[in-house]
Amino acid sequence: MRYWLTRLGTSVLLLLTVSALAFGAMNILGDPLFNILGPVALDVDNPESVELIQAAEEQYNLDDPLPIRWALWLGDFVTGDFGVQFSEDGEPPVRDLISERLPRTLQLLVMAQVLAALIAIPWALWTASRPNSKVDRASTITSFLFIAIPSFALAVMLKWALSIKLSIFPLAYVTNDTFWERSFQMLLPAITLALPAAAIYQRLLRTDLITTLQEDFILTARSKGVSRRSVLFKHALRSSLFSFVTIFAINTGALIGGALVVEQIFLIPGLGRAIVEAILREDFPVVLAIVMIIAFAFVILNLIVDLIYSLIDPRVRSS
Amino acid sequence: MTSRETGSVQISRAEATEPLLVVDNLSTHFPTERGVVRAVDGVSLSIKRGESLGIVGESGSGKTVLSRSIMGLLPAAAIRSGSVRFAGTEILDLPAKRMRHLWGAEMAMVFQNPLNSLNPLMKIGKQITEPLKLHLNMNRSHAKATAVRLLKDVHIPEAEQRLNQYPHELSGGMRQRVMIAIALACGPTVLFADEPTTALDVTVQSQILDVINEQRTDRNMSVILVTHDLGVVAGHTDHVAVMYGGKLVERAPTRTLFANMKMPYTKSLMRSIPKLDNPSHTRLATIPGRPPDLVNPPDGCRFAPRCAYAQDRCHDEEPPLAVADDPDHYYACWYPVGSPEFEARDAELRAAGDPRVDAGATI
Repeated sequence: MRYWLTRLGTSVLLLLTVSALAFGAMNILGDPLFNILGPVALDVDNPESVELIQAAEEQYNLDDPLPIRWALWLGDFVTGDFGVQFSEDGEPPVRDLISERLPRTLQLLVMAQVLAALIAIPWALWTASRPNSKVDRASTITSFLFIAIPSFALAVMLKWALSIKLSIFPLAYVTNDTFWERSFQMLLPAITLALPAAAIYQRLLRTDLITTLQEDFILTARSKGVSRRSVLFKHALRSSLFSFVTIFAINTGALIGGALVVEQIFLIPGLGRAIVEAILREDFPVVLAIVMIIAFAFVILNLIVDLIYSLIDPRVRSS
Repeated sequence: MTSRETGSVQISRAEATEPLLVVDNLSTHFPTERGVVRAVDGVSLSIKRGESLGIVGESGSGKTVLSRSIMGLLPAAAIRSGSVRFAGTEILDLPAKRMRHLWGAEMAMVFQNPLNSLNPLMKIGKQITEPLKLHLNMNRSHAKATAVRLLKDVHIPEAEQRLNQYPHELSGGMRQRVMIAIALACGPTVLFADEPTTALDVTVQSQILDVINEQRTDRNMSVILVTHDLGVVAGHTDHVAVMYGGKLVERAPTRTLFANMKMPYTKSLMRSIPKLDNPSHTRLATIPGRPPDLVNPPDGCRFAPRCAYAQDRCHDEEPPLAVADDPDHYYACWYPVGSPEFEARDAELRAAGDPRVDAGATI
């Protein structure tokens, strides 16, 4: 109980720090007034402009000191008011923008990670049970190939081959289509994200499996007459999941804002694209909201990882 | 798929015209970058149903590899030759797929370190019931009841609660009892115990050996006890086989061996057991030198380079296994303990005050 309270405390502290750093950096490095009004903000000799400037300062609390503005923004943020966009006349509000973009990115992420796990786990089991065989060596080369190819290159190649030449997958993402149609449109982008991820997961899981297979308890299992396959699935796999689970979680967090290249190439209006557009326009409320979502996701993922650890290993539970 | 019939290894337990397990000229070699390691080199032995055999030797003498070679539990790279007959069936060339039906069912093994040998992520109960479901097709409740009975057999208190515990929640001695319960689960005819007490403290050691012995009698099971400790085999085995450098160098009924050992190596092993009536701070007797390199073993007798009694012949010619007065007693030595050459050399060494034959040598 005490442990979980401490965890909760640290998590809140972490989120506050991230928000303060992001808020501070954006306001110090940029000029919010300019972002809201454009060149008008610099035209202080024109009374018309001054009027606009005062109105904007009033609306966005820009004349308050930075910590106060941060506190005001934070107060709004935690109550669900993410503010208005600085650009495009403030429409739609940041909250609507996020709730439109986030589900797409989450769907892409879930599809990619499920695919990656479905590829990586059997692949690792297959190679770890015959280390240094021809199959294993070929797979090592393949996995490093997937890890080494930059995602934009892989995306372009897959799109060209499978969408344009072979027409297996649709070319575009259509926001008005049904859920199943959109899911199919997302399949190729998901594969693009899944392949390099699967290669990394396979490397880690294979190494851990090979280490586990040297353990004495594996010999015990064999001496009981357990089949090779059951030794692998029932005895070796569970003990070998720790690095895989950790990297899987970190990658999940990273993909929330990090799928931007793939979103761009496959024309999916997701969170990754939103954050690029917002940064280019220095649209503070949008950037801050996305930063906070990513930070929050990492906090939650961290908790989930700890929970999974304790589910895997009873020794973690008791300590 | 896992039932015993499909294993097509026919085991006739009823009448045994030959001993239960017959090992003939068994060799196990491991190819390495340095050359071929001859971990086991032409070992022959046999064991009858219900008997117990101790395999004794230093680290690196090949005793663990021998026991795993007999059972067939070796890494894929190992190369075995010779013959292992179990209940009249040749099992050396059986593929792992068929050996699986013997492992756990007819032959089982208890390992040295009970913490590492139990799956840390699996409840005790599941680890015991696993072979029961596999080999005896027991359903869950039957397997569970059997597991409780097995835990009681090896004297584990509160057996029912133990089923839901994990290995880290038990003490070392309890874990080894669990290992024994797992090994005994399907009523094997041969139990291999590979240094079962080495990782345990002394008071627990004898309890574990007693449990193994008790179960051997109750189940009319053969036991092969692998150990570096002659003291352990003394009270718990019918026969002893002494290994050195991958070879069997002496084999005898336990009583005969202790009364009338022939190999100077066996004698040296005996001398290295600390004795209670020695004054305190007596330096422990050791065997000088190192076990032989199994890639390039010495010519002649493998023990010769370390043997105080070695003569020219020992370095040139390898001694064959010879039969002693007792027809069950074999030894591989040109000048065994008690031979005129041995006695002459012994007197010489004593006169010179050689530390290798000092007072501790008198048994």
